[in-house]
Amino acid sequence: MGTDRFTPGDRVRTRATDPAGHTRLPRYARGAAGVVVERAGRHPLADDRAHGLSPQPQAVYHVQFPAAELFGAGDHTVTVELWEDYLTPIEESS
Amino acid sequence: MSRINDVGGMAGFPAIIEEPDEPPFHSDWEAHVFALNGALIKRGVYNLDEFRDAQERLPVERYLAASYYERWFAAITTLLAEKGVADAAELELPHGH
Amino acid sequence: MSGDHSSSVISAEVRHVEALLEARGLLDAGEIDTRIDEFLAGGTPANGARIVARAWVDPGFAARLLADANAAIREVGLSMAGGLQEQRLKVVANTEQQHNVVVCTLCSCYPIALLGPSPSWYKSEAYRSRVVRDPRGVLAEFGLELPAGTSIAVWDASAESRYMVLPRRPEGTGSLSEEELAALVTRKGLIGTAAV
Repeated sequence: MGTDRFTPGDRVRTRATDPAGHTRLPRYARGAAGVVVERAGRHPLADDRAHGLSPQPQAVYHVQFPAAELFGAGDHTVTVELWEDYLTPIEESS
Repeated sequence: MSRINDVGGMAGFPAIIEEPDEPPFHSDWEAHVFALNGALIKRGVYNLDEFRDAQERLPVERYLAASYYERWFAAITTLLAEKGVADAAELELPHGH
Repeated sequence: MSGDHSSSVISAEVRHVEALLEARGLLDAGEIDTRIDEFLAGGTPANGARIVARAWVDPGFAARLLADANAAIREVGLSMAGGLQEQRLKVVANTEQQHNVVVCTLCSCYPIALLGPSPSWYKSEAYRSRVVRDPRGVLAEFGLELPAGTSIAVWDASAESRYMVLPRRPEGTGSLSEEELAALVTRKGLIGTAAV
């Protein structure tokens, strides 16, 4: 098994694409910028398991988003649990 | 394509209704559907994500008209047919019922 | 149990499928009844209440619960292993500054091995669609008016973890026993749609 790509504190962006099949990346959280707050173990990707496959486990993370990033309004946060495949790093600009 | 189950943030659903002293199941058949799904997953007939996928693939009108455990039962029979356990006609009640 | 026409039709359909599966060797006679009995004898909100009360009286336990809930609940004889496999439990603590509320927007994920079946409102599109977007409004409908200065954290159970809220210990309960404290905790408190 590979090493986890992200550590708590990392800023990430979720995948924006709309897959044809089963996924566990909710529509409201697509293409959004958030922060990894905690690791949540390693599990086979649900999108692949829904096709009857048994892929290698990959890291899963709790990723926190400000409501305004998701909905354009709101002062709360939403934390979604996301597979590594759904996430890309946001490079900090200096 | 976003599916009918993916409702986070959507507008237009009715008010949230609490049922006082709600029982675990509202009918015996609901408990049977719950247990049947667990038995089939445990036997490896299908996995949990295939089960969720089968609910999400139901025709939207049927999905929205169905109760929670009606969706479960529709997903179970869909998967039993797709996995070749039984054909669709065998899964239906014999005529006369 | 209801016995209207549509219910009797689907009851017959379910029995028919069970008989078919038994005939094909995919289901044992009595297996369904055994599974139902085991499930109904398993998880209950009282388990969550016991965990909460222990956390209120034992700060060390509370710290262990927030760090590794699966290990901590074994100290009180509970586990998340009652379902198909042991699931990870994440406990989120309410504070004066932050209130937590749990949802599964994609389906109905809930720690049933520990807490038993979830209420119908938790599984409803109405709750799942709205609580991620307007949690303060949804909580107000449940009768929970939070101070403006209390922030809200919504947790969407979208993958493998299951969540439980650790409510704040109510004021004026200093003289209560652990059992009496547990009796104060409700299922809605464990989900986050009630204060306790």
